[in-house]
This record gives sequence, structure tokens and C-alpha cells, in this order.
Amino acid sequence: MSITVRIPGSLKDWFNGKTEISCTGNTILECLENINGLYPGLKNRLFDDNGGLHRIMIFLNGDHIRQLDGPGTLTEDDDEISIIPLAAGG
Amino acid sequence: MIIDNPASHFIFIFHSLAPLGKKYTVRNQIEMTNGEVLQYWGKWIILGERAYLDEMARKLDPLVEQEKIPCVKYDRTPSVNLDLEECVMMVYGDRRDRDGIFQILRSFGVKLKAWITEKETMELWLPGGQLLERWLAGTDFDNVRKDIMREDARMRLTYIFDHPDEIFTPWMQ
Repeated sequence: MSITVRIPGSLKDWFNGKTEISCTGNTILECLENINGLYPGLKNRLFDDNGGLHRIMIFLNGDHIRQLDGPGTLTEDDDEISIIPLAAGG
Repeated sequence: MIIDNPASHFIFIFHSLAPLGKKYTVRNQIEMTNGEVLQYWGKWIILGERAYLDEMARKLDPLVEQEKIPCVKYDRTPSVNLDLEECVMMVYGDRRDRDGIFQILRSFGVKLKAWITEKETMELWLPGGQLLERWLAGTDFDNVRKDIMREDARMRLTYIFDHPDEIFTPWMQ
């Protein structure tokens, strides 16, 4: 299984200069945990102390996961996850 | 038609007949109501440097004129008061047409795929909404002015939610 994760250029320091990486996982949360294993500290950038998404928006194949099942949204092979700053959605 | 008024934070792409009253919240030649805008309207998000978005705007301008894309708006400068380091472009449309619009964007090299509904955006800009409150926190407004801004946002946006059958009327930005 391979899922593509994309971020804008302003966040590329999250992925050591890359704006596109691959991950695996059956849900958005599993994918984020998989990425966190590759880029330690990422979860702290994404989630606040209460476990809520922190100043970012996450999209699965273009759809905001808040409109789906949140971090528990199921993912499939060849899916695309996009992460942008919350303010970019306004 | 690219509208670049330095007095505005945003640069817009509208159809050339927009100054004569042509509306962009139209589908199948019928103007959308507030309820329909809340149900169907949204935008694809593109982030990048100003020069990149200027180039993208030049590519999208004829497509807006051909009515393949209703309208576009993007930042003149990054909204640093919202902690943004890049400019944001919003390519608007009806979600029933969004896949076709994204195919256009993909053909121009856009890869990051983020569709945000206008309903969600409006909720973020209501009093107490994350974006309105963060924007206010970044200003030097006193509390009285902030409350005035909150009330203005509340009146403007709740009107849309409370009058779903009225024809949607956009406002100057």
C-alpha cells in the first residue's frame, strides 16, 4: 500500500525539504503515525495537547477530513493526503 | 479579467462582464441562492510565492473568460497575521463541477489537492471562529473595534445562513 502525502512549500521543513512523500496506513491517523516515525516530531506539529488538529487542515483526495470521519477516515492504496495551514482555508 | 487594485489585499480574476453585473455564483445560467452557495460552493486551494500565483493567474484568466472557472482570488502578499508564509489562491466553483476544475489545475502542474466549502469558510469567520479570532488577535484594534468587527461578520454571514432562499450577493473584499 502506498499513499501520497503533499504539503505546501512553506511547510517543507516538516519533511526535510520535501513537499511530497509516501506513507502507509489504513486510516488518516495511522498514516500520520507512520509519517511521524519517519519524521519524528510531526505529530506534535499536527495535534494540540487535547488531540485536536493544530492549526492545519488535512484533506483526503481533496476532501477535508472534518467532512469525512476525521483522523479515523479510512484510506486506501493510491490515496492522496494533503496538509495545509488552517489559515489557508479562509 | 485580472483585477489588481492595490487598495485590496486580494487580486481577483472575474469574467470581463462582471463590472456590468455578470455574477459568478451562477450554474446553468441560474443565479444561486444563499442555500445553494452554502451547499455547493467552494474552492480549490493553491499555495505559493506571489510570482508563481501571478503566472497561474495568467493561465486561468482565459478559462474564467470562457466560464470554465467562475472566478479566482489570491493574496497580494502572505497573510502574516494569520501565520501564513505563502500566498493563497482560491479557485472557486460549484462542487458538482470541481473535478473538472481540478483537472485544469492539474494540467497546470497543481498537485496538492484541497477543496474547502464556502460553508466551512464562513463558519471559520463567524465570531468565535478560529480565523476571525486569529485575525483580530493580529491587529492593533482595541476591544471596542474588535467587537464591531465581530458584529459585522456575524450580521453579514448569519444573514446568508438565515435566508437560504434569497439570491446570493457577494461583497467587496
